[in-house]
Amino acid sequence: MNSYHDPELEDVLQDGELQRIASMLSSAHTPEPPLDDAFRTGLRRQLMKEAWAMSEGRNSWWRRALAPPGLAWAGAAAGVVLIASVVVWTSLSQPGGLQQVVVQSPVDGDRSVALAQPILVAFNQPMDRKTTQDAVQIAPATNVTFSWDSGSRTLAVQPTGGTLAPNTQYQVTIGPGAKTASGKPLSTAQTITFVTQPKATPPATPTPRPTPTPSLGERPLATLAGASSLSAQWSSDSSSIYFVDGQGALKVVPAKGGVATIIAPDGAASPSISPTGDRLAYIRAGKIEVLTFASGMTDELVVTPAPTLVGWTKEKVIWAAADGVYTKGGDGRSQQLAPLPSAGAVTVVSIAPDGAHAVYRQDQNLFVLDLGTGKSVQLGQANAAFQGWSPGGSELLYATTDNVLIANTQGATQATLPAGDASWSSQDAILIGGDTDIFQGRPDASNLGRLASGTFHSPLWAPNGTSFAFVRGGALWTATAPTLPPEPTPLDDATTVVNNFMQARLNSQSDQANAFLDDNGKAAYAGGGLSLVVKGDPHFSRFYILTSEITGSQPDTARFVVRLVLTRGKIDVSDYEETLSLVREATSKQFLIDQASSGSHRALGKGAEVVNVDVESDTVKVTFDSDLDPTTITDAVMILDSKGKQLDATASYANRTVTLSGLNLKDGAQYRLVVLTKLRDVLGQNVAAEYDLDVVGPSSKKHINHKDVATPSPSPSTGG
Amino acid sequence: MSDPSRDEERDLVERAKRDPRQFGTLYDRHLQQIYRFVYSRVREQTAAEDVTSEVFMKALKAMPRYQDTGRPFAAWLYQIAVNAIADRYRTLRTAQPLDDFHDLSVAGPALEDLAAHRDEVRRIWTLVESLPHQQRTALVLKFQEDMKIEDIAVAMGKSAGAVKLLIHRGVTKLRDEAASLRPVE
Repeated sequence: MNSYHDPELEDVLQDGELQRIASMLSSAHTPEPPLDDAFRTGLRRQLMKEAWAMSEGRNSWWRRALAPPGLAWAGAAAGVVLIASVVVWTSLSQPGGLQQVVVQSPVDGDRSVALAQPILVAFNQPMDRKTTQDAVQIAPATNVTFSWDSGSRTLAVQPTGGTLAPNTQYQVTIGPGAKTASGKPLSTAQTITFVTQPKATPPATPTPRPTPTPSLGERPLATLAGASSLSAQWSSDSSSIYFVDGQGALKVVPAKGGVATIIAPDGAASPSISPTGDRLAYIRAGKIEVLTFASGMTDELVVTPAPTLVGWTKEKVIWAAADGVYTKGGDGRSQQLAPLPSAGAVTVVSIAPDGAHAVYRQDQNLFVLDLGTGKSVQLGQANAAFQGWSPGGSELLYATTDNVLIANTQGATQATLPAGDASWSSQDAILIGGDTDIFQGRPDASNLGRLASGTFHSPLWAPNGTSFAFVRGGALWTATAPTLPPEPTPLDDATTVVNNFMQARLNSQSDQANAFLDDNGKAAYAGGGLSLVVKGDPHFSRFYILTSEITGSQPDTARFVVRLVLTRGKIDVSDYEETLSLVREATSKQFLIDQASSGSHRALGKGAEVVNVDVESDTVKVTFDSDLDPTTITDAVMILDSKGKQLDATASYANRTVTLSGLNLKDGAQYRLVVLTKLRDVLGQNVAAEYDLDVVGPSSKKHINHKDVATPSPSPSTGG
Repeated sequence: MSDPSRDEERDLVERAKRDPRQFGTLYDRHLQQIYRFVYSRVREQTAAEDVTSEVFMKALKAMPRYQDTGRPFAAWLYQIAVNAIADRYRTLRTAQPLDDFHDLSVAGPALEDLAAHRDEVRRIWTLVESLPHQQRTALVLKFQEDMKIEDIAVAMGKSAGAVKLLIHRGVTKLRDEAASLRPVE
């Protein structure tokens, strides 16, 4: 196994042992890692879209033509027509040359076409504009405008409303009536098929990452005079920082800069601001000093044994000593809250902001001590280092060689973050600083991104969650961090579950789909009425969420109506809906599907179809896949209450969406959206059959995320 | 005599430089190897997909400026990949044990020798992970991706001599640290 020979390396690997190592390195061949076909094709599609955009250029003719002034011009020439997205190669090297009219489109076969983009159609030879436009047919019925390039080889089609309908399969046909400029007709009709994206789609960037900000406004505040670690506290209003320098002097410096004021000239340690921010406790000369800001007076607390660390529980001072954690009893004497181990070298390193726990080091090991029960649990392995508390003190940060870990006060790891010096803000953002840069992210390791390059040791958030202090070059600095994107709402969390559940079903992965069901949900899909894996022909090809609502809190509950589309060949032929009720599970805090029911199958292509419904307490917006005849809307789209009575509402129509306003939907009450057959699209086709969709009055509390709040278990009882 | 496969690649590259829509063929050719390399460095499918997306998107956008230096097109893609991985390496710590990735099976020796060899190979690759970033990258490109020194030089933006030095230092460090791996005589 030592016979390694590589002519390229023979001059640098002459030693037999080096060759043996090289031989071992080269003997482990690499298996192919998992490469998801969806990723492969998805990335290719993104690249091709980008390539098309590069080819067209930023100032291409169709962009100019479809810009608002051009759109008005184009609109004048357009009637009620059909849409096309066809691309025809202009290259003469195409098979068949000019003998055959070739039609292609970058969106043909695409199942996630953006709603606002113009649809490009290119031909391999100049076309006669009128006959080509007249030969274009589109389903569902859509008003469009046409624009051509100067060579009449590329056609851009834009819906007059500005966007395509969401969640819709379009079939665009160029009929044989289309002729080339020289009068040659298409030999056969050619159809392009594509599916549009849902209404609200995240940006299609392949690697969404926070953009590093050029500057965080870093500025030095004061020298630390050789301090080896940062012992500091922000004032409660985030206006100043109290710190102990390397000479043991306790100072305060304004966060905006200025002269540092000495509070205690030497021997000070462990500054700690009271929860209300009106007092500062610290240790000096073996005593606890408590400075009241309003009066400027300092009270001295003489305790035995000598304090090593001071903190607060509510408005009472607590402190650590060599043998335990103490507070002052009613009789004015020291009262031990919890003892510390007597074996080994024991030092308390921090007291939680709520005063309920402390972290201590025993020799090389780190422990969290419950001051109520006196019980300790170890944090990680040997040499773990404490880094900080969550704002409320229910969780903490500690570091290992490789990572920063978030643990609860039982020592259980909640999340893993990159290594560095960490601090947890009041806004639930975590900073991780180090020698070369600083990162910010959420406690669940989401939204993690680099804020800036440079040295950012010992970051310490201000109470406002915006500013932070840090150590650079032996000095105390301050800077400002950008705000993280908001945390997902309960509806976001529930939507993620529904999408994952449906995607697993689409992939026929019943085990994975089952993981999103609670016992009731499993029973619903095992009962025969519903199929977890949808089989047969036409086949289940895609799904989309028709409507989603948060219907309750504590526990969070949500209701979704999901449409499952069945396809034969490339064409969507029918669909049906499933109504899913989700409940946030008490322990895992994850949404699970608790109830499910199914509706009847509907044939597609027979009039306008509802593709999205947004329910607010005063407004219901119903989006259709077709442009509608506005004269047929009145009393064709309505909301009924639970007794079947039509609610008073004002109906308006724009861009395929009927808006019913002036409603007053009650939280959790049952309603029904009804679309009658009198509704017609712009081609005069009536809705084939009445469409009913049950909806629930939205919860007014839907923006509160109860994920982090202890919630009772869902009870099967409805009370009463 | 020219290498037909190189000629074909040059032709593909030239076409993609003139018309970005031709980039798809280059993507189809190189996706697997770039993804494999990225995956071997970040060890996590989602992260590997993110970085691979970034590599090909950057490559597409930079195609008009691509200069054929006589080295394979893949060397340029590796260069983009090396930089992309370095950019996010700080946040993407390797999470899986090494033997989840490297196939340690080798043919030939008796089973007991094979087991010992596997163990050694696993530990030596584990030690690779502790090498300085540049040495580690050079070793991976040489011994895992089986690239030529000149191509690694392109990928890492260094001279061939510098790459050899990195490999020499890396292997020497492995030898020193793996002294205990030497089989008992």
